[in-house]
Amino acid sequence: MTPSRRTVRAGFLASAERFPERPALQLGDDQLSYRELGALAASLAATLDAHAPAGEPALTVVFGHRSVAAYAGVLGALFRGHGYVPLNPAFPTDRTRAMLQRSRCRSLVVDRHGERQLDEVLLGADRPLLLLLPEHDDVRDIAARFPAHRVLGRADLLAATHWRAGDVDPDAVAYLLFTSGSTGQPKGVMVAHRNVVAFVDAMVERYAVRETDRFSQTFDLTFDLSAFDMFVCWERGACLCAPTQAEKMLPARYVAERGITVWFSVPSTAVLMSRLRVLKPGKFPGLRLALFCGEALPAEMARKWSEAAPNAVLENLYGPTELTIACTLYRWDGDRSPAECELGVVPIGDPYPGMQVLVADEHLREVAVGEAGELLMTGPQLTLGYFEDPERTAAAFVRPPGRDEIYYRTGDRVRRPGPGKPLVYLGRVDNQIKIQGYRVELGEVEAVLREEAGVDVAIAVGWPVTASGADGIVGFLGADHADAAGVRDRVIARLPPYMHPSELRLMPSFPLNANGKVDRKALLAILAEGAA
Amino acid sequence: MMRRMEEAQARNKLRDWILKHAKTPPGPAFSDQTPLLEGGILSSLDIVEFVLFIESLRGEDVDVDDIDPRVFTSIDTLHAAFFAPA
Repeated sequence: MTPSRRTVRAGFLASAERFPERPALQLGDDQLSYRELGALAASLAATLDAHAPAGEPALTVVFGHRSVAAYAGVLGALFRGHGYVPLNPAFPTDRTRAMLQRSRCRSLVVDRHGERQLDEVLLGADRPLLLLLPEHDDVRDIAARFPAHRVLGRADLLAATHWRAGDVDPDAVAYLLFTSGSTGQPKGVMVAHRNVVAFVDAMVERYAVRETDRFSQTFDLTFDLSAFDMFVCWERGACLCAPTQAEKMLPARYVAERGITVWFSVPSTAVLMSRLRVLKPGKFPGLRLALFCGEALPAEMARKWSEAAPNAVLENLYGPTELTIACTLYRWDGDRSPAECELGVVPIGDPYPGMQVLVADEHLREVAVGEAGELLMTGPQLTLGYFEDPERTAAAFVRPPGRDEIYYRTGDRVRRPGPGKPLVYLGRVDNQIKIQGYRVELGEVEAVLREEAGVDVAIAVGWPVTASGADGIVGFLGADHADAAGVRDRVIARLPPYMHPSELRLMPSFPLNANGKVDRKALLAILAEGAA
Repeated sequence: MMRRMEEAQARNKLRDWILKHAKTPPGPAFSDQTPLLEGGILSSLDIVEFVLFIESLRGEDVDVDDIDPRVFTSIDTLHAAFFAPA
């Protein structure tokens, strides 16, 4: 079969031609049609084409959050043939600046939230940049602040009619997404157009997405699951409903008021609804699909949700960013599934079309059915690796003995209980955990703790532990005296909210295990004892 | 039965809770009109604990289905929704 030459923008463009007046994006009470959103994206693309400094990499930063500018920026970059690099103005500016510099991007689309942080984020920028601010009419004051860069506002954007769709290589980067890295340096995962197209094709067919669907958009653009929301939705002319900050506070109400038909979130959001006592039987009669991904799905939550959404198909999706959004899935069945759950969580199921699974031991040799091992996968969704980081790419993208293909080592422990049975998730092989659905390398938190506390050893553990990961982080500093409150303040300034330690404890000496390594389980036991 | 609380006391308790749990610490100009959501001071991750806290202050359950999410805009709107006399 000839590989598809389509790229990610094709789905939106086809929908815009077929359904120009249907809503493409709902943001609070504001709504944009495919024609309107497409025109803004084309206008951004034409302006990028005309004014962005030439040279590699072909990437554009989208520095925005839940705004028309941010979504149009994503599309504008793709229309231009650039990959987009999402950065969130709600995250610490030091981290954002580091990612911007590492990406070597020469152009940025910036919304109002992002504009407020430009002074700090552009500090030390070592090359001239093109800054597009489509929400600003008058950018003279902003341009005066950044004389080294070119700043263009809404009035300066070229008309959409100037945009010409040039060729885009399906192997080019569609988005570059920074994920938590164990050395303290975030890793930039390069996801190619062909990866996303393979994923989107599989999803629209499986779920028979149609133009009357209304998709939730619970994920931040820096979380790769947002790519499902946008590109699966826009592939078939459906409407993407991004909640306002206020709507995010009460997601059950948002589902009802926005007429959501396709729900996609981390299981933590369902847990939150349950704790707020709103996950009642029959609550969501309009939902036809309920999808969860990003962390382990507790079986009890799947049961409650399927009662709340009696007309919906409920599926548990699994997948790291390196395998493009999601690569295995499991359909919940109230009669059959409870017996297939292990450790109280729903199985992750079976691979997407074309994807292959290998459950392997530490030598990357396949283990017998029934045995636990690390999950490795390959197929059309296998991404390009880490941006300008061949060492870490080589460590994670490997060729197992006796195999022809490169596989990605997920670092997740799984087991296939029997022939034909769905894969079950057992936990992390390494030291990576999920907090509210975000993937967190505890090593990254520890690296910042060590630096800010000036200690040799700092340990971060997920606490309190939940069925799907942890609710937060507690840090232990290897010191008998330190200004823990001051350290915490400095750490908070450097890390995004979901990585903030809720508490720092001083630890003159750490408990060690038989290998001489810090015994993390013993630290968890200390916390459990304190909580008892 | 809902407990009645002095307005100043309710506002202080709301302020204390928010300051303690803020993901992004509010600046020195923090007031009862400061936008809590736009500034990232209060996030959806706080909602369960926050509702439980409000219930503990009121002495009765909050029916979340009846809440307009805009009540989380500021301390003023929170007070009006949960503590002001009907």
